[in-house]
Amino acid sequence: MTGSRRNNKKRFLHVFLLVLPLLLFVISLGIGSYQVSPRDLVRTFFSTISPSSYPDIPPVYRDVLFRIRLPRLLLAMAVGAALSVAGASLQALFKNPLVNEYILGISSGSAFGAALSLVFLGRSFPPQAAAFLFAILAVLAVLLVAGRGESTSLISLLLTGVIVSAFFSALLSLVEFFASPYVLQALFFWLMGSLSLAGWKDLAISLPLVGVGLAILLLYRWRMNVLSMSDEEAKALGVNVRRGKILVIFMATLVTASSTAVVGIIGWVGLIVPHLVRLMMGADNRLVIPLSAATGASFLLVADGITRVVSPLEIPIGIFTSIIGIPLFIVLLKKAKRVWL
Amino acid sequence: MKARKKVLKLMVMAAVVACFLAIRAAGSSSAQKLTLRDNLGRAVEVPSRAGRILSLQPEITRIIVALGAGDRLVGLDYFLRRDDHLFKIIYPEQARLPVVSKPDDSVNKEAIAALSPDVIFASPSELLVPDSIQRALSIPVVALSSQGSFGRLLEEIDFVGRVTGLEARAKELVDYFLENMTAVVRTTSSVPSKERPKVYLAFWSSLVRTPVSYEPVNAAGGDNVAAGLLPSFTGSPGTVVTIEQILKWDPDIILVHGNFLPRERQVTVQQVLADKRLSSVKAVRKGQVFYTFGYWYWWDPAQVAVETLYLAKIFHPERFNAIDLEAAGNIIFEKFYGQAGLFSKLCEVLAFHDWIKKKQ
Amino acid sequence: MSIRIEDLTFGYKNFLLRVDKLGFLSGRITSIVGPNGAGKTTLLKCIGAILPIKKGMLFIDGKDIALLKSHERARLISYVPQEHGSAFNYLVLDFVLMGRAAYVPLFSVPSKEDVHIAEEALEFVGLGNFAERTYAELSSGERRLVLIARALAQQSDILLLDEPTTFLDPKHERGILDLVRKLALEKEKTILFTLHNLEMAIQYSDDMVFMKGGEVAASGKAAEVFQEPLLEAVYEMEMKVIEWNGRKIVLR
Repeated sequence: MTGSRRNNKKRFLHVFLLVLPLLLFVISLGIGSYQVSPRDLVRTFFSTISPSSYPDIPPVYRDVLFRIRLPRLLLAMAVGAALSVAGASLQALFKNPLVNEYILGISSGSAFGAALSLVFLGRSFPPQAAAFLFAILAVLAVLLVAGRGESTSLISLLLTGVIVSAFFSALLSLVEFFASPYVLQALFFWLMGSLSLAGWKDLAISLPLVGVGLAILLLYRWRMNVLSMSDEEAKALGVNVRRGKILVIFMATLVTASSTAVVGIIGWVGLIVPHLVRLMMGADNRLVIPLSAATGASFLLVADGITRVVSPLEIPIGIFTSIIGIPLFIVLLKKAKRVWL
Repeated sequence: MKARKKVLKLMVMAAVVACFLAIRAAGSSSAQKLTLRDNLGRAVEVPSRAGRILSLQPEITRIIVALGAGDRLVGLDYFLRRDDHLFKIIYPEQARLPVVSKPDDSVNKEAIAALSPDVIFASPSELLVPDSIQRALSIPVVALSSQGSFGRLLEEIDFVGRVTGLEARAKELVDYFLENMTAVVRTTSSVPSKERPKVYLAFWSSLVRTPVSYEPVNAAGGDNVAAGLLPSFTGSPGTVVTIEQILKWDPDIILVHGNFLPRERQVTVQQVLADKRLSSVKAVRKGQVFYTFGYWYWWDPAQVAVETLYLAKIFHPERFNAIDLEAAGNIIFEKFYGQAGLFSKLCEVLAFHDWIKKKQ
Repeated sequence: MSIRIEDLTFGYKNFLLRVDKLGFLSGRITSIVGPNGAGKTTLLKCIGAILPIKKGMLFIDGKDIALLKSHERARLISYVPQEHGSAFNYLVLDFVLMGRAAYVPLFSVPSKEDVHIAEEALEFVGLGNFAERTYAELSSGERRLVLIARALAQQSDILLLDEPTTFLDPKHERGILDLVRKLALEKEKTILFTLHNLEMAIQYSDDMVFMKGGEVAASGKAAEVFQEPLLEAVYEMEMKVIEWNGRKIVLR
């Protein structure tokens, strides 16, 4: 009786979480400094199909809708989903719900890589590639120093992550030191984490990379349950642990680096969102991974929507996610009876 | 309406001058020492005729050269050595000076101590650095920066004049600057407000970063669309806006920071013109997107005076048609730095010619 | 299925496991006993291919196990670890379902069939209505049962259990061992387990392997090898075996 009621509630939540980003997406399309009434937005939408039937729609409406809001919202959703799924996957892989892209040095590695390409290679080299390269290097460094295998405790992982992050931060500072002030300004702006410049061009490279990485992690979701067991157990259960680890780390790094290369560092999403989902839905990664993707997309849509509603100014979303994320995280910690659900 | 605007303009100019004169009077000068209040509100006792000067603030360093005290400089900061193209032309002797700091970043106190300067000029953007140097070395440190304000720029010239004992030269430059500005404002203040273009400035290597106040725009007879927003970066009048907001403002003119070597430009006029998101903006539709000098790390008094003329020609071509910008620029730069054809040279280095000529 | 070991070595820093020749017969229960550090668990993990064998061969029904892929091996051998700690609190059914990893394609999720098998395994260990509970809610005896159910869902012929009864009270200890016997009888599994309790070992196993210092001290039918001199030599202490009601009791 109670079981079925719990199941009904869970099923409702499941559907709700999946539908939420679509709902928020539609709402967000109507939000922004440039006021366009919902009715006009709908008509703008149809006017692209048959422009002649809507002669009164000014072209600027189409620009606002299709060239500014749409790419920005898509990027917000892609980045939110990417960071959340990467977080959830890495947490399963490292058998620890506290692990995130910061701890593993992915953030600092990709920040350094993207900065390096921005400062010294100009626009000719896609920053995504450099970000990915150095993010992978950072993860490998963390794994190498922390030691692989069963003995890797969270403490040693945390410490190593701090060390490796600090190393890449130092390298980043070095890049900043040698950057010309003009480039440096661009770099600072990007590092703060912002969706403000999102255009179709940025999406064209990052979206496919994030898409591929997400698809593979989503398909792999159930096996992450098995990988979250001790390595010996996973092996005994018939999983090629080494291959699984390489696959998950590679894909999680790919989606994180592709996001970071475009929007800078947006922190806390990869930690908060999977936690939230696990609190609602339980630990099974068959649910956690896809619902983290959906909830991550919702989270960034809301965060971005708030920054766009609050003022005509652009508050970097990275600051915002931390400001929303950290108190929420504390509340969740306090509320959860068992600490690591 | 028109008359009111005119009165307003003149009042603004009068306020700038009055403010500046008040500051000039405020410093109490004894025989050898002056006590001056810097941009951080610190009262600093400085020698009135400093022989050895260290400036860690590029703007001040150039003013020192403009006043004719370049030979008193004992050291440089990294920015001037590497990124300041103007400075290398106006003061080739800079090559002999040691680099002791990177502005806002790192200061080598021991290297500074070894140079034993009588006074140090620093930037106020790093709040704690001036006091920290002063305490460590017992050398007066003055934090000054114009932050894009005419009044503060003139104050700096006056200030440096008194520290170097070159007050007469400083007054000459201040008067010359005011004279030039007044000439422009006299014309632009008679422009009906309807004809004043709405101007958006894309500064600091980003399409969406913009200063909330930029006095040359107003003096040249335009209105900064971002005026009145809150600056979001301490120590600078910059803020970040959304692209939608730019569409909403629908500016008549977009100005892009062009104060650097072309290869270092992160935002270019071509990019803005080709940006499909902006295709409905009036400035883009009508091709009214230009580089401007802009302040970068510093403001240069000569450059600001030329820029105001340049903007006036863009905003109100019919009124300023007669001015030959390059010729005028050469006169202004020569007045400050004593070299003929200096502005042309600078245009050469920074490839300004491309965009200045187009507007001629 | 039978297991045959030939010339196996495995070493840590200051421990070496060496087994020249050892066989386990199909459908029988074998207990591996010996003092702490004798290499019991290491031997079990080598057989389960959880630890990489340095040298030597391991055959299952004549097939070299080193040539098998992970999932092929897991369909032949399942392993029940001594204890399990996870940061994630899975539902019992989801937990048991992990036993199907060797059957579920790489980029897929368990089918209805897999769920059915997992439910049956839970039913078999007597936790049929625990499916919707979370692992953290369970007592330590129930957790052992869930671990066994997971191995059962693996549908392998060989079952390895590492110290399945440590930290359990006598009643639960007996419960687990009864279940092990039931597995051998009803499901015809070949079962190997390590155990500290010698009385339980002799009572519940067909064959026994005595280990000492990384080597096999003796092996054979339980009733034949379980002798005082061997026990005293293996454990290096005085021991006396007495019979009571047809059961062997060890006095020490």
